[in-house]
Amino acid sequence: MEKAVKALFSVMPLLFGIGFIAPLIAQAMAAWDWPAPFGLSHVAFGLAVGGLWGLYANIRGRWI
Amino acid sequence: MDLTPPDATAAAVAAGPAAGGGAVARLAPGPDGLDRDTRCDLRRREKEIARQFHSSSWAYGVFAVCGFAVWLSFFPLAIAGLLNLPLAFVAATALIIAVYLAGHEAMHGNIGRRGEKLYWLNELAGFVSTIPIALSFGAARITHLEHHRHCNDPLKDPDFSDQAPGPLAAWYKTWYNRQPGVDGSVHHYKRVLKNLGTPEATRALYGTLVLQIVFLATLFTMAWTGHAIAAALIWWLPRHLALSWIRFYFSWAPHHPRQGRSGRYDNSRIFRSRLGRVLTFETETHLVHHLYPNIPNHRTRAAYFALKPILAARGVDVSPL
Repeated sequence: MEKAVKALFSVMPLLFGIGFIAPLIAQAMAAWDWPAPFGLSHVAFGLAVGGLWGLYANIRGRWI
Repeated sequence: MDLTPPDATAAAVAAGPAAGGGAVARLAPGPDGLDRDTRCDLRRREKEIARQFHSSSWAYGVFAVCGFAVWLSFFPLAIAGLLNLPLAFVAATALIIAVYLAGHEAMHGNIGRRGEKLYWLNELAGFVSTIPIALSFGAARITHLEHHRHCNDPLKDPDFSDQAPGPLAAWYKTWYNRQPGVDGSVHHYKRVLKNLGTPEATRALYGTLVLQIVFLATLFTMAWTGHAIAAALIWWLPRHLALSWIRFYFSWAPHHPRQGRSGRYDNSRIFRSRLGRVLTFETETHLVHHLYPNIPNHRTRAAYFALKPILAARGVDVSPL
């Protein structure tokens, strides 16, 4: 159990990027009527940004 | 009140009986310039004054529970579309800070101690007060009491990671310490609890893990069901802002500069903030809280003014207030 929790928290920035940042970006863009670039849907764009940002935070240990 | 400042006491001791040094002249003054008898007398008078400011803190318990309930009600109201989200964001931030402050009284058992009639309220208020910041009450209480026990000790004070050279650096540090790869804030608390290794600390650690999972699961669920903006404005952003506010005014400002200041009278400083007493949670007189943690927060300022001559005699810089 402890190992599973540790494993979960070790990738938490990536999960947070996908689980929260991605839909937040998508819904904020939709709310302000901003089109996503490259013909992507809001969700796909959110997942790309949130996923990459989460991965960066996971590797570097900082969000910025 | 007849109080002799440290330099005058030292001078009297040096001058001998004719100058009023009398019996104390035989005792060498301590590093604070006060002899043993003077220190004992000051301490006795300090305790007598402080005792007058101890009072019931049940209102903090009621406020914590009600404030938490109001914050919690924002979730169904936001999902139902009945909430003005920008206003809810401001209210949520203020509530998280205020509820935590009320919970701080519970950490010291000021609402009710074990065996007392209001112990249940103390524990309930404490339990709910730290949920919005995703930290278990047990973890908050243990680490806060460790902070009191080892105030400004670089290795043992769980809040030492808030140390920063100035206010701008301190604000930055409140954010930096929460980064995933930095051993500060809650990450540092978890390590302190693990090192303590007591059954209570282990329970507190698991409680925090459960709360963090609940926090993240709530954000993820709300986000993927179309309520990401509501989740961000009711919990995610208010929690971050509240934590920064709490760390700055509750930890950095009253304990600056920390390094080398772990004595009873120098582990906290008296300061004046442009934001005033309410927005800084009365931490301008935080030293009184460290001297007498059972004086409720709203009475620390009055207690400070009553204790001021004694604190001055102890060498505390009382000039800011």
